[in-house]
This record gives sequence, structure tokens and C-alpha cells, in this order.
Amino acid sequence: MSRIMSTTDRTLRIGGAAAAAAIALSACGGGSGGGNAPTGTDASRTATVTITAANGCQISSTTFPAGALTFNITNKDAAAVSEVELDSGERIVGEKENLPPGFSGTFSVEVGGGTYSLYCPGAKRENIPITVTGTAPAAAGGSVDALLKQGTADYANYVTVQVGYLLKAAKTLQAAIDGGNLAAAQAAYDKARPFYEKIEPVAESFTIGKNSLDADIDARANTVPASRWQGFHPIEKGLFQDRSVHGLAALAAGLVANVKKLQHKVSGLTYQPYELANGAQELLDEVATTKITGEEERYSHIDLLDFQSNVEGAEQAFADLQPGLAKIDPALAKTITARFAALDALLNTYRTGSNPSGFDYYGALTTADKHKLAASVTAVQQPLSQVASKVAKA
Amino acid sequence: MPDEDERATLRPSRRQFVGAALGAAGALVAGGAGGVAIGRATDTPATSAAGKQVPFYGVHQAGIATPAQDRLAFAAFDLTTTDRTAVEVLLGTWAAAAAQMTAGQLIGPINTAPQAPPVDTGEALGLGPAALTITVGFGPSMFDDRFGLASKRPAALADIPPLPGDQLRRDISGGDIGVQACSNDPQVAFHVIRNFARLARGTAVMRWSQLGFGRTSSTSTSQDTPRNLMGFKDGTNDIKAEDTADFDDYVWVGSETDQPWMRGGSYLVTRRIRMFIESWDTDYLADQERVFGRFKTSGAPLTGKHEFDPVDLDAKNPDGTPVISLNAHIRLASPSSHGGQKILRRGYSFTDGIDQTTGLLDAGLFFIAYQKDPRKQFVPIQRLLGSRDNLNEYIQHTSSALFAVPPGLSGAGDWWGKDLFA
Repeated sequence: MSRIMSTTDRTLRIGGAAAAAAIALSACGGGSGGGNAPTGTDASRTATVTITAANGCQISSTTFPAGALTFNITNKDAAAVSEVELDSGERIVGEKENLPPGFSGTFSVEVGGGTYSLYCPGAKRENIPITVTGTAPAAAGGSVDALLKQGTADYANYVTVQVGYLLKAAKTLQAAIDGGNLAAAQAAYDKARPFYEKIEPVAESFTIGKNSLDADIDARANTVPASRWQGFHPIEKGLFQDRSVHGLAALAAGLVANVKKLQHKVSGLTYQPYELANGAQELLDEVATTKITGEEERYSHIDLLDFQSNVEGAEQAFADLQPGLAKIDPALAKTITARFAALDALLNTYRTGSNPSGFDYYGALTTADKHKLAASVTAVQQPLSQVASKVAKA
Repeated sequence: MPDEDERATLRPSRRQFVGAALGAAGALVAGGAGGVAIGRATDTPATSAAGKQVPFYGVHQAGIATPAQDRLAFAAFDLTTTDRTAVEVLLGTWAAAAAQMTAGQLIGPINTAPQAPPVDTGEALGLGPAALTITVGFGPSMFDDRFGLASKRPAALADIPPLPGDQLRRDISGGDIGVQACSNDPQVAFHVIRNFARLARGTAVMRWSQLGFGRTSSTSTSQDTPRNLMGFKDGTNDIKAEDTADFDDYVWVGSETDQPWMRGGSYLVTRRIRMFIESWDTDYLADQERVFGRFKTSGAPLTGKHEFDPVDLDAKNPDGTPVISLNAHIRLASPSSHGGQKILRRGYSFTDGIDQTTGLLDAGLFFIAYQKDPRKQFVPIQRLLGSRDNLNEYIQHTSSALFAVPPGLSGAGDWWGKDLFA
């Protein structure tokens, strides 16, 4: 479930955050000289959170000493609530998901002094201000902003590198076609495709003249007027259906020219964190709509290679957001990481050394295989769809 | 919380004033969306019944004894997780969503942050509860070795054996969990299946689904008997919500069960029955009536004049032949042919377009039956029908599924199968 909250609520919640820090409670003085150990009794470090339909979120105490805290949560009967978070500003410090009515759960955090908010999205009473007294522990790692900024820079670099490889591979394809070598051209086609499929949403964002650059490079048959059909797929048709390089030279030259345009366009390009999230989602949409159906590579049948490349591109974009996201919403970051891992593991079962693409051809997939792959993709898409708004607000 | 048999009825009818009066009482207890005052209940127009709320919580799950709504969306899910807790959380999440949807509420906001997708998909916004019921059951496959539930499998949840005439497609049969959503608005019913699938992502996937566009059974004396796609009244002698003794004897699982978690539950059998409509439409009237054993227009048995006249299976023509043919549908389906056994039928007409191979209509009856023990009820009844029914020339069973439907949820915080997983 997502974090749902109006900006006004947010502002209210953040207001006055700084105040509380200074006042150290003397109650912890009775401790047996533990140096830097967390102070305060166990009872003072444990909160009982009860959620009901009638009263919303309720907590046993709203003031805690800095250090380790544990929240024991029970959702008695609030149908609209399924999670509880401890927030510090825009950041989720700790959370417990999967708490529909009748379920209980626990989360533990290590917090420094300051003002926090216990947030129970969907509850009648959604927010409870929490005051933590004592000194703040040193923040681990950089700020969310800095991490996300670094992530977008890393992603920009990834795109530049992939487009560089793409240009090289397109030139190899052109050379094979110009040299009249069908086998070499087929192999070069297989090699070039992944570099494009990994970064396709970036190409989609550029429009030159009437066509998007993506259409010029990657349009499938009958999706553009025949007279304007160019790029990878008419070459694919020549190489794998007609099994001839005849008449492909101009197309190969055009492909190289368009990839150069793409390279020019992406150089120096910067990205917003939410664009990475949306780009990753678009790549998975690609998988769901054109790869799982065998439409993309209808002559070469290397759809699973494209599939894997789309997934890899999505995973890369996510990986660049992950360090920042892990600070904003660690559980979400963890879920997405696990779902990507499951998808990768499933894809790996279709790898084979006997095809140049490295994967089974589309025709070898059974309906059950396709269902499993599609379900594994939607399993990533569902939590991934929450990322854009999280990183956009950070 | 009212009992199932007290629940609001859909269409007040002169024929059964008592049923309608009970229905009005049920609607009051339910406290419909508008918060209707007690004094006004009697002059609430009948048309508002379509939008009313059926209580989600109760002793039994709604959607069984509830007067059959007009529309169906059914789906079977397969669990993809092997984590037992994930299954419990899914069922708890579904139960919370069901409580909201049956009350005509969203399952989460539509106006989310601009960069976040809406939580509720939104297509049921403003359509009200529309008498929505959501009924959930567990298929035999749930009790394999994945979740440690093998010892909790009821004996009555025995796999349905192959039956005469079966032409079952595996891909649209079976499933770990069955979800029946019934409503008077098709979009309200579909909204359930779609959002359940969404909430299940990563834990379960939809195995098959079926839409039904019109009820083919009446499950209350307050309802008129509807017609199936063959043009005949269907379910004239169905168990009615008002017959509480029949429910106890034939529908609700009682103390006889080997699995206490099933007490108050029922067993659901679904069969997709394709009708060869084009052939049927060329059959002459008297033969159509011979096939069923009823008159087409009135619905009366061939031995009577009115729909509810008793069926006289012993009546003879002057030449000594039985008036109701030996293989007539109503004879073979009759309780007297099965030692008195009955089932509650709650099916819907469907069409899935045309059969691409033949160009013929792919339409028929999505048969739904609830019972105490399929081994004693559906299985023997269908075994006889499948081998002898005159109707077999015009129908084919293309799917089959069986689900153990646990009892009703006691309130918020309860979920389907909580006792099963305990």
C-alpha cells in the first residue's frame, strides 16, 4: 500500500520538528553506567499501537528516549488500514506492512532526538506526533537528496555507456550487411538489440520531426506507414525471414545515423529521480505488452533476449534509486529488490547456450511459461509503481 | 447481525409477502448507504433494492442464501507463494477490501499523489453497494504439501471424479482459491475480481475467470424464476432462502464434518456448461419440452398447468408411456431420483463470444451449486445426468471446479479460513 497524504498534512507534520531535541530526560540516570548504551527502561522503549475503525491509530505513549524503540502493532478492525510507519519528515524511519484487520506485527528502530510522526495511512486518526528526547545518533550515510542525486548521475552514465555500445554494435551490423555476410549480420543483430532495449524509454522521449526517435530506430511492422518503416525491424525481416542482406544497406546506414542522433541527444542529459522510476516502469510495460506476446522480434524470435534487456534496464534504474529509496521507504526497497531477484531467477531458467541469443526462442515457450513470466513481471510492477511519488517528494 | 435467511430480498413480490417483509427488516438491520430511517422503510421504493447493501459479516458467507443477484464475476486464483503467512495476509487483505466494497466504499483513495497510482482502480465509484456479495472458497489443491494444510482437508473436498460426458479444459478448471462476486451491477462485480488480482500480485495469480450476465436461478421465494439461454425457466424447485430446514439439511456444513473449521460453511461446485444454441434453436417445441419435462412458456411440468405444480413422475400417457420422459432433465435432476438429495443452484448465463473454430456462439450456463457434501450431492446427480439426460445432445461441460467455502466472517479482524490456518 502506498503512502497517501495531502501536502497540507505533510506540512503540519513537519512543522516544529526541530524543537524537542535538547531536553534530555533525567529518568535514565539510574542506569548502570553503560557509556554509550541506549538508556531508559525496556518499558519506556516499547510502544503498543492499536488501530480500530472507531478511533483510528492509538499509541501507549508519545514520548520516548533516544535509542532503540520497538512498536508492537495490532490492527483490530480498521479495514482501510494495512500498514504503520514511523516518519521523520519525508523519510520512513521504520514501518510494518501487511497489517489488515486481525493481524499484528512489530518493528524496531534506532532513533535520535527530535519530532517524529506515527503514520497509519487510511486510519480515522492517521497521525500521531511522537517526541524523542536525547541526542541524535550520527546519521549513517549521506542525505536522501545526495543519494538520489548520485543515483541519477549514475543512471545518466549508464545510458551514455549503453548508447556507446549500441553505436558500435550498429556499425558492426552495417559492416556485415555491406560485406554481404548474412551469418555475421544475423549475429550482429542479436548483439546490438540488448543495448537499445535497456534504454528504450530514453529514446522514446525524443521527437525529431514527426517521428519519435524510438519509432525511427525500433518501430515494428505496421505500426508506421510502410514508406517510413526503418530501423532494426525491417533489417530483422530481411535477415531472418528473407534470409538475405539484399537491399538492407540503406537501412543499416540509417540505423547508424539515428543511433548517432540518439547519442547526441543523451549526451549531457540529466534526469530527475522520478523519471528513473517511471522509466523502469515503462521498460516493464514494454515487456508485458510486446515481449511476452512475441510481437517485438517476430522474425528473429529473440524476444526473451529483449525481455531480459528491458528487465536489466529497469533493474539498473531501480538500483540507482535504491540507496535513496532505502532511506525513504526501506520495506518498499526491499520488496522490489526481492521481486526483481525472483524475476531474474525465472528468466535464468530460459537461458541456453545452444542459441546465439543465449535464450530460448519465443516459439519454445508454452502458454504456462508465458503466464509465469507475465505474473513475475506484474509482481515487480505493483510495488515499483509506488517509487516515483516517493522519490519525487524527497 | 441478521441471519442469511433474514437478509434483504431483491424484489418484493405479491406471491410471497412474508419473504418481502423479512427482506425489509434485513435492510434496516443492514443500515443501507443512505441511513434510511425506520419509519420510512415501508415506503422505500422497490427500485432502490438494486443499490442496497448486503451485510458482509455473518454466520454464513453472503452470496449463497442471498437472493441471487443479476450479475456474476467469478475468478479462480493459484497461489504462487509458498509462504503460509503470505497466504494469511492475502486473505486478511482481501477480507478488509471485501468489507469496504460490499459497503459501496473505495478500498483506498483515488486522488493519490500525482506521481502515485490510485489505490482503488475507481470504476465502481458512485455505483453504490449494488447488493454486492463476495464469497471465497479453497480448492483441493490448497491442501497439498505447500502450506502444511494436508491434515485439514475435509473428506467432502474429495476431487470430483471424471463424470460421463466431461470435456473439461484444464486451463479453465480448478484453482487454489475461488472468488464469487455477485451484484446487480456488472461493473461492481468486476471491480472485485480486478482489485483482488491486484492485491494478490506477487502472492497469487488469476488462473481463470468467468463473467455471467444474467442469473438462471431464483434462490428466494420473492424472486421470479429466470430463464436460461434455452428459454426455459430454471431453478423452479431450487432451494429457497426461506427454506431454512433445507439449508441445514443440504447446504450448510454441520457437526457431521471431519473438519471443525468448515462448520457453517458449504461446498461450491462450478461447471461451465456450453450450450449448442444453434442446434437447440432448430429443435421443435414439443421435443424441447420433452427434453426438459416442462412447458416452455409457463414453466409448468408436463403433468401440470402452473409453474409450481408438483412434478408427477408417475403420470402415464394413454399409451402407457410416461408423460415426463424417462430421461427428461427434471426427472433425472429430481430429488426423488437421488434419495431426496438436493443442491442449491446459483448459476448464471454467459457468453464468451464465438467459438473461433466453428463460428458458433460460445455461450451457455455457468453452473454454480452449493451443498453440504458434493460426494453425496453434485457427484451422483451429475453422474446420472451425464449418462442419460436428454439435454446432453445440446450441452457440454467444459470446466469444473470445487471449493470448500468456510463459514461467514464474524467481523472486522476475521478473515476467510482464519480457523483453517490457526
